[in-house]
Amino acid sequence: MAEDLVLDTAIRDWVLIPLSVVMVLIGILRYFVSKLMQSSQLPDPKIVKEGQVIVRARNLRAAANFIPPKSFRSRRVYFSNEENGLLFVPKGQAQNAQAQMFSDPNMAMDMMKKNLSMIIPQTLTFAWVNFFFSGFVAAKIPFPLTQRFRSMLQNGIDLSTVDVSYVSSRSWYFLNLFGLRGLFSLILGEENATDDTQRMMQMSGFGFDPSKSLGAEKDGLDIVQHEWALPKFEHRAEAVLKKLIK
Amino acid sequence: MVSKTEETQLNRLENQVDNGGGGAWEYLCLVRKLKVRRSEKVLKYGLSILNDPKKRSALGPEEWTLYEQVAIAAMDCQCLDVTKDCIKVLQKKFPESKRVGRLNGMLLEAKGSWAEAEKAYSSLLEDNSLDQVIHKRRVAMAKAQGNISEAIELLNKYLEIFMADHDAWRELAEIYVSLQMYKQAAFCYEELILSQPTVPLYHLAYADVLYTLGGLENLQIAKKYYASTIDLTGGKNTRALFGICLCTSAIAQVSKGRNKEDKESPELQSLAATALEKDYKQRAADKLSLLTSALRSLKI
Repeated sequence: MAEDLVLDTAIRDWVLIPLSVVMVLIGILRYFVSKLMQSSQLPDPKIVKEGQVIVRARNLRAAANFIPPKSFRSRRVYFSNEENGLLFVPKGQAQNAQAQMFSDPNMAMDMMKKNLSMIIPQTLTFAWVNFFFSGFVAAKIPFPLTQRFRSMLQNGIDLSTVDVSYVSSRSWYFLNLFGLRGLFSLILGEENATDDTQRMMQMSGFGFDPSKSLGAEKDGLDIVQHEWALPKFEHRAEAVLKKLIK
Repeated sequence: MVSKTEETQLNRLENQVDNGGGGAWEYLCLVRKLKVRRSEKVLKYGLSILNDPKKRSALGPEEWTLYEQVAIAAMDCQCLDVTKDCIKVLQKKFPESKRVGRLNGMLLEAKGSWAEAEKAYSSLLEDNSLDQVIHKRRVAMAKAQGNISEAIELLNKYLEIFMADHDAWRELAEIYVSLQMYKQAAFCYEELILSQPTVPLYHLAYADVLYTLGGLENLQIAKKYYASTIDLTGGKNTRALFGICLCTSAIAQVSKGRNKEDKESPELQSLAATALEKDYKQRAADKLSLLTSALRSLKI
């Protein structure tokens, strides 16, 4: 069970290297295709306005101590009062951010395009690897593994006595899939469409949820205690002038 | 706003280019980055680069940005033929571009054909109603035509959507001050102080507006903001020093008879006066006598 299999160097020349090269080329192709298909998305006015409201509310919270108490209070009411405060979001609207994402046709189209550009090349390459490069041992993993990994890594190999470290080319494909991300960010710059794993993680937790951040800002604003910093400045100005006159 | 280091760098580059030392392209890039308005120099040096085919091809894709920059500078200096040529080149290269459409609108504005410019801008806004620059150009047009109330209306509508744009708040504050609507101007300056609390300019302007509004409470608040300006500028701002003196005497006048409010900073006025005298002695010694007589009349 622990004998060393000697693998033909031809495997390295004709399997491992071509597979990597093909994956790199497909990645570059996908990048350019995604650039071509990128539709300029018009920003939604509501979302822009909400973004700006949040910036303004944040400024108010940060610099509240620089304006007179009356102005601060009137602004706070403007932002968080129950009827038409800017930050106030009634309960019902808060949940449908996700539903909105799906019903908005442009966004749905964009998501579909991104998904397609990710899924189709992956499927095709996987099928190609399976068709051409199955049924033989492709490489040896340098560290020992347990028997559990056999079904995952040794798919085309129908011998049950071969050491689990000897894997088929399918596992080389998966290795490349996740590993070439670093190479792509070197060649193509930071923003490339091959960040599949990142996108998969993003899909599970939906990105920009404006109503939640509005609610968070409103809570933050309600908490702020206004302590007018200006009287302190008078003393500081005195000190500055005294120093200046000396 | 341009910081001091950036300003010195810009002036140094300008001197270098003026005296024939080369570096025109860096100068133009810096002007573009800082959004400073030095249209004559930009026009002169930009044209010298553009008219020289060797230098022009050395720019590569940046050539088109330079065309845009020179076109805008030419409009500022009223050299409309240069503008037309630049726009023609840009239009040939980018036929359907919104940026070129905007330049066309600005050219119509520069020529004075307001109605056509308005039409051009509205059609551009139809395509993209969230283009900040075009909104601002419409405000500028209304202001240039003398239609201040429409400028205010447009600016308010713009700020309803883009309420974090502090340049717009500043413009609105200045328009209000020019119309003597001081309460609204005070609101705008408060917004500016909120977004950039360490810029002394806004404190000073706010204090000026409050002092003009008058009333005991406003005068006290104004005094505090003059003090904060002094603090932020290290005592070098003459206007703030004058403001302190005037405020204190105005407060004393208004609260004559009522019990004086607990003086938080009793020496501030005398300190400010001394600082002013010292400053005048250094910089404008012949006006010192005017200053001392004015200060004496304040300290009633």
